[in-house]
Amino acid sequence: MHPVLTIAKYELLRSATQMRRDLLPVAVGLFLLLLLVTGLVAESGMHLSDGLYTIGVDDPELAGVVAQDPRFEVYRADGPSLAGTWGLYDLVVIGGQARGAPTPRGQAALKALRNDYDGYVASVYGAEPDLFAAYPLWVDAEEVRSEVDFTATGAGQQVGLRPGTAAPTPEGIVEQVTAPPAGIGVSAEELRRELVQDASTDDRLARYTDVLQSGTMGEYRTPAQLSPPLPFDSIVLIFVFIFPLYFSSQFFMMAIMNERIDRRGEALLATPVHPALILLGKGLPYLAGMLLVSTVLILVLGAPLVILAALLPVILFFLASALLIGMTARSFKELSFVSIFFSTVATSYLFFPSVFANVHVIALVSPMTLVVYALQGTPITLPDYAYSTLLFYLVAGVLFFAGARNFSEERLFSQSRPFTRVREFIGSGLSDRHPYASLLLLSALLIPFVFMAQMMALTLFFNLPMPWSLLLLLVGAAFVEELAKSLGLYALLAKRERFRSWRVLVPAAAAIAVGFLAGEKLLLFATLAQITESVFGAVLFTSLQGLWMPLLLHLAGVLIVGGFVLAGGRRAYVPGLVLATGVHVLYNLAVLRGVIG
Amino acid sequence: MNRRHVGLIAKKELRGLTQERTILLAVLLQVFVAVFSSFLMVGLTSLYDPSALSRSVTADYGVGYAGNESPLLGRLEAANGLRVYPMDLSTALQALRERKLSAVVHVPDTPPAGEEPVKLTLYTLQNDLASSVMNVRLKEVLGAYEAELRELRADRLENTPLPLRLPPPRGAEFFEFVYGLLVPLLVLMPAIIAAALIIDLITEEYQQRTLETLLATPVTFTEALWGKVAACLVLVPLQAGAWLGLLGLNGIRVAAPVEIVLHATAASAVLVLLGALVSLHYRERTSAQFVFSTGLVVVMLLALAVPGNPLNLIARLSVGSAGAGHWAVLAGVAALVLLLGWVMTRYARSVARAFVEG
Repeated sequence: MHPVLTIAKYELLRSATQMRRDLLPVAVGLFLLLLLVTGLVAESGMHLSDGLYTIGVDDPELAGVVAQDPRFEVYRADGPSLAGTWGLYDLVVIGGQARGAPTPRGQAALKALRNDYDGYVASVYGAEPDLFAAYPLWVDAEEVRSEVDFTATGAGQQVGLRPGTAAPTPEGIVEQVTAPPAGIGVSAEELRRELVQDASTDDRLARYTDVLQSGTMGEYRTPAQLSPPLPFDSIVLIFVFIFPLYFSSQFFMMAIMNERIDRRGEALLATPVHPALILLGKGLPYLAGMLLVSTVLILVLGAPLVILAALLPVILFFLASALLIGMTARSFKELSFVSIFFSTVATSYLFFPSVFANVHVIALVSPMTLVVYALQGTPITLPDYAYSTLLFYLVAGVLFFAGARNFSEERLFSQSRPFTRVREFIGSGLSDRHPYASLLLLSALLIPFVFMAQMMALTLFFNLPMPWSLLLLLVGAAFVEELAKSLGLYALLAKRERFRSWRVLVPAAAAIAVGFLAGEKLLLFATLAQITESVFGAVLFTSLQGLWMPLLLHLAGVLIVGGFVLAGGRRAYVPGLVLATGVHVLYNLAVLRGVIG
Repeated sequence: MNRRHVGLIAKKELRGLTQERTILLAVLLQVFVAVFSSFLMVGLTSLYDPSALSRSVTADYGVGYAGNESPLLGRLEAANGLRVYPMDLSTALQALRERKLSAVVHVPDTPPAGEEPVKLTLYTLQNDLASSVMNVRLKEVLGAYEAELRELRADRLENTPLPLRLPPPRGAEFFEFVYGLLVPLLVLMPAIIAAALIIDLITEEYQQRTLETLLATPVTFTEALWGKVAACLVLVPLQAGAWLGLLGLNGIRVAAPVEIVLHATAASAVLVLLGALVSLHYRERTSAQFVFSTGLVVVMLLALAVPGNPLNLIARLSVGSAGAGHWAVLAGVAALVLLLGWVMTRYARSVARAFVEG
């Protein structure tokens, strides 16, 4: 049998014998309970914001409408007595006129009432026999592909001149189009079915912000359905897919950690098998399990199997991160905190971009957007797949490489502080005999992480109003790059006394700059072409225009940090990093304003 | 049970936490969640509806109007933030492609009071946030035009909804998000972290084989357990209180902070004791964490399905609309804590006895 399979078998047996006998029945019982409780919640709804507002209503029929919303505590009284006790309620409705208390709560109650009333009106009109009398206006939304593709439009800003008094005249050749037909071409019953379906989908999100709405995007929409729908159901399903994966990777994390308790892993390390193969063997059962769970979920949900292709890079990424966390944590507490932290950050990275699935191409930074697309029936192209998964594959690969490289007695059983451990982990990737070559390689390998961190910053800051989003992105992107470049150098300087000299620093910095730039260029052309079209891309990748200027910039950044560390010791690392970031930001600003390049 | 021993163990565990500095990571995590969710909320609103924020984008957006003449033209011209140009459809579409317009509307010659619906065609740019902004701005105008058309066809309607006039709400953009979601979430996070912590503290003693050493000291197993529980619990009100204070600094006033911290602490005591029981049973981190986290999801969902659950009470307390009924719920939770505490003590004694005998 191949050694990888032997180890995989051993791992399976070990985990099976270590478990208490009642774990499996308990797990099955809990799973059944979970199904039951989910059903219960679906039945009775989430009671999180019940009874936030009080409302006084004089009309019994209207009170019945409001009473369906558990956020309101409804009091019924006649008009005059309500008018007298006006101040006791957040909201009062007398004679069809609503009045909110002049407090934030009163105004929020007014907003909630407006949502409810809209829903009620829609339900009345939706039941009209003559649908086109109740809904006389339908909008057919067509999307046009722009010919101009570079400017600030990605951020919702107007390009060029403000609209003038006269109608604009196009510069290009006007292509004659026939006017769309006046008829709607769909039966009223079909439209009604869509309306009803739309009304029944969950509007819980609309409570928190009334600009978002859930629902399906039909061909025709009423004016009320005009804003792009949030793929709410698909987004909930994302969690259904991610949680089991997260749990299973926890098992792997713990299996790695267990090898380190009482130096149990010594026997494994003593086998004449390469560490990479040992790790492959140990990870194989978990990989298979995660794929199996995902497949079962997909089949149960009746979803397209393409989703598995989108989940695979996520599974590999989770496993590789679990490997490193399991190898570095010093205690169970640390394991818990680091893994909770990691899973929160990873889940936000995976989850939040998919909120924009129907709005902006930026959503594709997360493979989960592919899942949303697959569930919605939006076709997925090969470039889409490459674009949203390549980073995950690469990062998983690099993490696994780092794990295999450090899977040795010295690293596994060390108890030094986390920062030292990270330094050691990077340090053991650097060769003593070829320090420059390994620095070059290391900085190229760090590129996927840099891009991932920058994408994270992009999804985070993308949401803010315009000048802030760009500014924060500018600083954040520069900082991430400088940090990544300085890591290898710092590890090298800390590793050996003889590396701590100016004669080493300059060629080392040059190697890092070259490796970084080469890696950036390669990956950028392979994947991120879509983002670079928008102004955010311009901010992230300004240091990529041309060849010599960015090389000098990278060199300068590394030299600053290295110089600080050489001159002032380890304490000077952070100030050096701040200064390097500052220089980088200034350079990017200069490029953006057109001073350079 | 010797109270000094309990305190000693609690102090030891807390010292371990501060030495490892992992608690920093936990705090960082909570800050991350708060920042990210708030950013997302503010961002989504500004993205879909720029006027919702005070520093609103007031620029006009150009709209091409093609097709039949209709009252919609006048409505669009009167609307804020739009500049309308009656144009030929082909020219308008080319101008849109060159981004000289933000949207093009085509209106057919359907009679306003006819049998057939009026089908507008709205052209916007693909993959452009300006399209979302346009959708929001046009929504209101089109809604008003829809009402006008509906009025013309009113004789064909069977029911009319009850009339209700609503003044536009002022402010309160994020009220329900902040008080209905963020505050309960932030207050609950320390409770979940405390429960994860107790499992680690207990299973670590088993798996690192330090239990013998611990039991060789004058401290009994029960005292050690309660010390660990105390160490986890003491962090909860500190973190929850800090959150409420931070929110206050941010201008988000929370109505009943003391009651909220009490509820959070009581709820986390339930979770911590459940975690302790699970880890006493499994003595191994993987199984204990797995069973506990799955159980936690079940318990949380179950709680949320019941009206008047602690999370809902925290939301209501934070906006100041909870009655005195919440004290009864608090008392109920406290009784549950006592019961679980009694069970844990019994269990711990039997475990210790088995340990000494076996």
